[in-house]
Amino acid sequence: MPNPTAQRTACIECDLLVSVADVAEGQRAACPRCGHVITSLSEDGHTRSLAFALAAVLLLLMSNAFPFLELKASGLEKVMTLPNSAVELYRDGYATLAVLVLGPIIGIPSLMLATLVALLVPLRQRRPAPWLVPAGRFFFFLNPWSMVEVFLIGVLVSLVKIGAMATVVIGISFWAYVGFAICFTAALSNLDRLQMWREIEACQT
Amino acid sequence: MSASFARGTAASEGLACCHICCKLAPATLHECPLCGAPLHMRKPDSIQRTVALLITASLLYIPANILPIMTTTQLGSGLDSTIIGGVVLLIHHESYPIAAVIFIASVLVPLSKLFALAWLCWSVSRRHGRSHQQRTRLYRAAELVGKWSMTDVFVVAILVALIHLGGLLRITPGVAAVAFGGVVIVTMLAAESFDPRLIWDELGDEID
Repeated sequence: MPNPTAQRTACIECDLLVSVADVAEGQRAACPRCGHVITSLSEDGHTRSLAFALAAVLLLLMSNAFPFLELKASGLEKVMTLPNSAVELYRDGYATLAVLVLGPIIGIPSLMLATLVALLVPLRQRRPAPWLVPAGRFFFFLNPWSMVEVFLIGVLVSLVKIGAMATVVIGISFWAYVGFAICFTAALSNLDRLQMWREIEACQT
Repeated sequence: MSASFARGTAASEGLACCHICCKLAPATLHECPLCGAPLHMRKPDSIQRTVALLITASLLYIPANILPIMTTTQLGSGLDSTIIGGVVLLIHHESYPIAAVIFIASVLVPLSKLFALAWLCWSVSRRHGRSHQQRTRLYRAAELVGKWSMTDVFVVAILVALIHLGGLLRITPGVAAVAFGGVVIVTMLAAESFDPRLIWDELGDEID
């Protein structure tokens, strides 16, 4: 028995009541007043999201395991890996900076991926799980704080800046991180907030 | 109470839309029946909170620009550089695109975000009454560009982690890096605490 409020929602940006009852699959519903996209329904959106999320997990693991950048100057060499640079920043007394940087580029994205997989796997099998609601809340709470794409721009700027002083070699981890950024963004863009919560709601009852 | 809200809105029917899960529920519940998040018709004290966070961000912006963001130590002699100093240096090296990226991310974006949100707060508290669509777009833009300001903080962290060649060449981060990271986080919180629905609530005035 569908409850009547389930077919209606309000635009989160202008509060106009909108009926989403007759939005068909493959369609996108925008608020008629302010234009905010309320939902974009797709049949296999969440399956694609899960696939990209799993690929992103693997690529993120890879990007932590190999050299990210390598510096060569006057016969000296310095290899930078992502986890190592955090440890070094912390050891040199820049703990705040370490958290400020590693949080949005690795910490938050990996928490988001773990939560996303924990949500999408049971939802795919339409099986209720006790963690669905808290995981959903946690995921959308973290969402604004991941800065994966911003970090890539930061790396490109650094390469140009260092290029003037020394030779930089781009490591395997850099390419893994680029792949991770693409898969992570694709996993998020195939996700529909309204649809996901409707599925969670359907699993709860 | 509900008379001041425009017709056709959730608030005019005493309903609130959950910010986390988009569930529509009576506002008297105070807690979302689906996800359990606090339920409000409008974000509580939206304008005060946003203004308070904007003031905090503006104060943090001062040390972020005056103090050095990093120090380059080459063969024992140190050289401090500020955000603006870094942009000027890049222009000297004729790396114009990179200079533009840093200038946009570290100066243009945070300043225009501060002014845009301040203007939105002012226009809402004065019940401006016009250009709802444009103001909503301005809000969306301010929300979207915010995190790109972190670019310079990431650059500093990468340089610090990579350029670490003993006594020969070394880069250490300055206070401004953390202050500037603070500016970015606080302005993101400010954008999150602003409620764009307040812009549209002005439409309710005409119906009364």
